[in-house]
Amino acid sequence: MDMKTEDSAEDDMPQVVVRLDDVRKSYDGTPALDGVSLRIRRGEAIAVMGPSGCGKSTLLNMVAGLDRPTSGSVVVHDEDLGGLDEKGLALFRRKRIGMIFQFFNLLDDLSALDNVALAAQLAGTAPGQARRRALELLDELGIADRKDAYPGVLSGGERQRVAVARALMNRPAVLLADEPTGALDSRSGEQVMDLLIDLNQIGQTLLMVTHEQALAIRCASRVVTMSDGEIVADVSMERAS
Amino acid sequence: MSAVWLAARGAVRRRRLQTAVIGLVVFISAATIVIALSVLAAAANPFGSAFAGQNGAHLVAAFDSAREPDARAEQTARQPGVTAAAGPFAEAAVNVASVTSTTSATSAQFQRLGQVPPSPVLPGPLTVVGRSGPGGTVDRLDLWMGHWATGPGQIVVDLPSSEDVGPLFLGSTVKLSGGQALSVVGVAYSASESAGAWVAPAEIGALHPNATQMLYRFASAATAADMSRDLATVTAGLPRGALVSSQSYLTVERDYSSLLGGVYAPLLLAFGIIALAVAVLMVANVISGAVVSGYRHIGVLKATGYTPDQVTAVYLVMVGVPALAGCVLGVAAGTAAAGPFAAGASQGLVPQSAAINPQADVLTLGGLLVVVAATALGAALRARRLPAARAISAGSAPGSGRAVRVQRMLAGARLPRAASLGLGLPFARPARTILTVAAVALGVLAVTMGTGLTSTAIRYGNLAESHGTDQVTVTAGQPGQTASMPSTAATETLLRSLPGAVHVDASLGTRSRVVGTTQTIGVTFVDGESASAGKSVVKGHWIDGAYQAVAPPGFLSEQDMTIGSRLTLDMGGKPATVTIVGEIWSGDSDSITADWQTLTTLAPGRQANAYGVQLASGDSVSAYLAAVRKASPGLNPQANNKVNAGTEIVATTATMFTALVGIVAALGVFNTVVLSTRERRRDLGMLKSIGMTPREVTGMMVISMAELGVAGTLIGLPLGILAHRLVIAAITNNGTFILPGYMVNVWSAALVAALAFSGLVIAILGAFIPARSAARLTIATVLRNE
Repeated sequence: MDMKTEDSAEDDMPQVVVRLDDVRKSYDGTPALDGVSLRIRRGEAIAVMGPSGCGKSTLLNMVAGLDRPTSGSVVVHDEDLGGLDEKGLALFRRKRIGMIFQFFNLLDDLSALDNVALAAQLAGTAPGQARRRALELLDELGIADRKDAYPGVLSGGERQRVAVARALMNRPAVLLADEPTGALDSRSGEQVMDLLIDLNQIGQTLLMVTHEQALAIRCASRVVTMSDGEIVADVSMERAS
Repeated sequence: MSAVWLAARGAVRRRRLQTAVIGLVVFISAATIVIALSVLAAAANPFGSAFAGQNGAHLVAAFDSAREPDARAEQTARQPGVTAAAGPFAEAAVNVASVTSTTSATSAQFQRLGQVPPSPVLPGPLTVVGRSGPGGTVDRLDLWMGHWATGPGQIVVDLPSSEDVGPLFLGSTVKLSGGQALSVVGVAYSASESAGAWVAPAEIGALHPNATQMLYRFASAATAADMSRDLATVTAGLPRGALVSSQSYLTVERDYSSLLGGVYAPLLLAFGIIALAVAVLMVANVISGAVVSGYRHIGVLKATGYTPDQVTAVYLVMVGVPALAGCVLGVAAGTAAAGPFAAGASQGLVPQSAAINPQADVLTLGGLLVVVAATALGAALRARRLPAARAISAGSAPGSGRAVRVQRMLAGARLPRAASLGLGLPFARPARTILTVAAVALGVLAVTMGTGLTSTAIRYGNLAESHGTDQVTVTAGQPGQTASMPSTAATETLLRSLPGAVHVDASLGTRSRVVGTTQTIGVTFVDGESASAGKSVVKGHWIDGAYQAVAPPGFLSEQDMTIGSRLTLDMGGKPATVTIVGEIWSGDSDSITADWQTLTTLAPGRQANAYGVQLASGDSVSAYLAAVRKASPGLNPQANNKVNAGTEIVATTATMFTALVGIVAALGVFNTVVLSTRERRRDLGMLKSIGMTPREVTGMMVISMAELGVAGTLIGLPLGILAHRLVIAAITNNGTFILPGYMVNVWSAALVAALAFSGLVIAILGAFIPARSAARLTIATVLRNE
């Protein structure tokens, strides 16, 4: 594995899609992020690692606009999230962000197809068109035959694939994944890892939080390590094939 | 601290909002139930409530004071079976020559109300008793205005507080045929009808008392036979003729029942029952919802090692504490608020202080806590049987087959996705949805029925007070005055000549003997067709010729008459026979209305004492009143804007119950949304994470409840209209009272359309705040916790 250190103060370049500058976040006086600065270029796959409570998920939430920094700025796809109100943030997430969660977070009352189509329908796409696109994605992810199944009867791997399809529905600028294999058995985890690698290889920018070194090594082009709310290492990697 | 208390306290602290909702719903429900029960008790048996409140006399007896000294009369109270007694009181039979009010305005109202003399203090015989005060062991009078008679020339008159004329008596002068003049210093009410007026004991001598009054309560007084035995007991040993008169409370009760039972009691009963149903339903909804939404917590407790019994106990304590607090405070608040409503429902027979019903308090406190405990126990026992793992998994929103099918159908609908998701939400919890729809439906039912009954009551009151027809009533002369009255024809000409008058009718209320019987009846003679006359006819037609009369159903029923029947009247001169040509709605069963020609035959020279004037639309009533006063100082004009007392009671009670029921129903919706939000925190967080805006989240939750609001309206609106019909049917069922069609058919398209929104309004009001709160959920926290 080839490794090289990257200068985090590198000048902005056109392909930067995520830029965090001196971001701080504290909860009831306890710092969760302590002056984090980070650049993510288009097509990169970044894995954020570190012990529990180091600020990984908080960092992800900042990029997704799910939480606001106490100070500092977060710019995604040239949009300064600090200037957006709640509705603006919702529309930003709708257009620019796809999210995958450890526990899938699918709606139990909706079929796999409708769960995926939901993201497009919220953006105003007509139901028929949204379903066609959702079916295409399920087909690409290899679970088209489970389109009518409900989350309750899908395996963990299948659920996460549905969640990935939903995240990709609106062609996001960045795909965010919070412990995407954390709730899966090893075989399903492998399948999801392969899926993420494939997506990244066709140009999808990826930012994932994980405890699993294997996932980071296999999927990421950069590994950011955090400790006590700070980035303590930022390493570019040549992915294992 | 026991493990149960520890877990329950923790759960209460963690679910502050839900705890507050439980407390609030139980609080309002308890207050509503106390008021409803108090109103029910007062409306169902106003006389009974008043009689009990005053410790009324089962028997009022008058002994000949010339033959029986006070000591002998007092001894009768020591007979077996007498549980309490009051007296002896000196009693005088006097004759009132006139009652003079202090102001022309009140005098005018006197005249108007005195058309058919209803009061013992209007000219005629009057029983006056000398009493030192309104209190005592028996017949504790409700002195509701002024003060007790303590000195010479003072008198307290007997009237219930519902009588509009009551306040007018205060300060007026009662002139007796013997020449004495007494000033009215107080107005009191005796449910036992022990006297028409009272004076201080030292002053009764001036009125030449001829009897001694004794008031008794007996151990057995439930039936007429009991009362006959009781009377025989107290008069045992007295010489024949010693008992001058006696009156059983059963006779008084019967008279009140026919007077009051017919009209308002069914209206108030209907409201009371609906309020009870909504309150109990919502308490059940909130309590069962609290337990069901806690299934996950229940699973965790079981996994921790709590036994099934301990889990059940935790949940009983968790919902029991706020429910108990809400119940106690609600009963206290309801008791404080019930007085005016119950007093109103009793038609003023029961004073506010006595309208408090301790049985209602006890029943509410006990009954509501039983409902709470039973509902909580039922839900907790279901949870108790669940395996821990399943209970934990039941903590998230369920995916029932019905919900799935509905969501599949809605996913393809051409609706904004947030809206279609909202429409599908209620199907996830069908039982809770049914309870919520039922609450909204009952709320709509109450609003609809309340609106209908208030409309009917307003039309009733308007006709009773001639609103919308005769804007001005002009009276002439003093109460009881028959001589030197202004000429009817001249007065009518004068009133017609004043600017603005388009219609004038004249009337005289008096009493007449019916030939062939010993009875007298009230007769209102009318000259010219009153503008409101046609509206009051329910069968036949209004008077359109000489010697015609119209009568209410009660009169026809009591006299065994129909339209076409004839009766001969005699007022001391030449008798006249009138033919009944129409049936009118008025409930007074001992009076009729006859034409002016009949009066001219019966009592030539009698003049009208009241005139109704209809003004051209837009003309000023006050200008007309001023013109009448200027034209003839002897005439007393007044604007016809008095609110009918019964209408006011119904409208106030309807508004109060509608508001309470609406609030409780809205709180039920509020609770449903709070529970739904709690269960769907994860789903809401996910939806926000994929771009659902706060407004869309609010809209989704509000739409989910608006759907229930529409369903509740579809059920509640027709039921409300039906309930209105049933209540009207109950009012008119005894045959003594018929409402004209326009009072019953109050449902215009515009009114129904407006009511159709009531369910939606209840649902949206209840859903909006928790929906907004759901929209503000912090996604990161929600999703991380999951």
